[in-house]
Amino acid sequence: MRTTPIRWQSSLLLVLVLWTALPISVLVISSIGSGWFYPHLVPTSWSTAAWSELVSDRRLSRSLLTSLWLASLTGGIASIVGFEIGRRVSRTPVPLRYFALAAAFLPVAAPPLALGIGLQYFVLRAGLGGTLTGVWLAHSAVAIGYTTLYFIGVFAVFDRRVEEEARSLGASPLATLARVTLPLHRRQLAEALLLGFLVSWAQVPLTLLIGQGAVESLATSVMSYVHAGQDHLASVAGLLLALPGLVLMGVVGSSIRRFAVATV
Amino acid sequence: MTVDKHSTVGLILPALIALPPLIGLGYAVTASLGLVGVAPGGSTSRYLREVIANHTTWAALGWTLWITIASTFLATLAAVFLAATFRAESKADRFGRIVAVLPLPVPHVVAALSSLLILGQSGLLARVAHSAGIISTPAQMPPLVYDRLGVGLIFALVWKEIPFLALIAFTVLKNRGGMLEETARSLGANGIHTFFYATWPVLWRGMLPGIVAVATFVAGSYETAALLAPSRPLALPLLTMERYTATAMDLRPGAFVLAGFTLLLSLAAVAAYGATIGRTDRLQ
Repeated sequence: MRTTPIRWQSSLLLVLVLWTALPISVLVISSIGSGWFYPHLVPTSWSTAAWSELVSDRRLSRSLLTSLWLASLTGGIASIVGFEIGRRVSRTPVPLRYFALAAAFLPVAAPPLALGIGLQYFVLRAGLGGTLTGVWLAHSAVAIGYTTLYFIGVFAVFDRRVEEEARSLGASPLATLARVTLPLHRRQLAEALLLGFLVSWAQVPLTLLIGQGAVESLATSVMSYVHAGQDHLASVAGLLLALPGLVLMGVVGSSIRRFAVATV
Repeated sequence: MTVDKHSTVGLILPALIALPPLIGLGYAVTASLGLVGVAPGGSTSRYLREVIANHTTWAALGWTLWITIASTFLATLAAVFLAATFRAESKADRFGRIVAVLPLPVPHVVAALSSLLILGQSGLLARVAHSAGIISTPAQMPPLVYDRLGVGLIFALVWKEIPFLALIAFTVLKNRGGMLEETARSLGANGIHTFFYATWPVLWRGMLPGIVAVATFVAGSYETAALLAPSRPLALPLLTMERYTATAMDLRPGAFVLAGFTLLLSLAAVAAYGATIGRTDRLQ
């Protein structure tokens, strides 16, 4: 039943489109406009020079590769570990399951700065301060929390009788996992991988604290470029940073609710 | 209740993933008490007292609370408004819902960068004001970033948090709103009464976990504050980072105390949520 007058709703829709699109449009214009200084409303000329820096500026390309490496590996490990923990937790009886849920919730709920300050001690003790491995481990500590919560939800509605049937037909636990459970959860594993990817992709405080300036991701490079006054490069880095999430939203739009918590 | 092999593993594994943050936070607490860390000198509450007695701490805490409350409130208000407006199944409504949640996957640091380019003193808004003849130099533009009110920061946070809250609001209304509203209308309630007595209670209850999540995130958010917050007063995450990375090592235990404060803020929000839900449940 419609309760909102159509004209009023159309005006509101226009405002909403402007509100949503303006910040991203400004980044696009800033990345391809040259001589875009006050008081010009639009750039005096257009250029792809800032985008060419992706190839010529080793710092930008290196930070992009670093982010891709970190996010892919974090997504990979977080989806596998989260899957296994979620599977196990779903078989735990209810009062104990709450404890498991609370444990998985902790790395998600703890403020990243507070978490990073604590984690740095261990990373330094392990001799991994300022290394990609150290940053990857720190990102994974948070991402595994997210994917575990995700898989606890997935397995809460999983019909376990399929597995029991395989076992009754003589399949070993490992064969049941490899031939029944895993194939049935291919899509969820892919979604968890993307969830872990996004958690790592946008991570700033943990990268700064554990990476100690020696590891520069795309997200931290946005901050460096802004502080250096290189707005056009910051815009290129910012757009590259926004891209995977927006593509993901287009590809798995129907599943976006599952990712919402990672992007709060 | 039987605890079999699966249950045991099902408990141990989550405990293992909670271990790094738990030990990390334990380390932060013991370091703030001078027991470990760069300046261990035996058990002392000196660092805690120093941080508590410092005016900067309270200014940072107050400013962070202001930003948290203002941005969470505005984002909630906008999300409720959007959910109430674009809730039907027409093309326009569906389009409205899609556009509203589009910024969801955009990282916070990108939202902060956009806010800087739009609201900075020589940003897009200043240029529009110049074109309209309102200002002639950037200095005449009121500061909207690095400002004491945190307008630029609030703008970035609201832009970023509306989609998350709107997504929850859309879902809540779709699943639970319709029938109650129909009943209210059939009993003679007008539009405003229906909203406040049928729609809002359902929305509020369904959105509360999301609102708490947004508030806790905003309170601990570092990157948006680093790009948009003023240097006086400093936001709590910035003050923590400043002390933690200071060359004067005796400032570092104070950073652990502040990290504990941030954590306490998050826990307080979660506890407030639990208490509110518990109270509502009892009332119902």
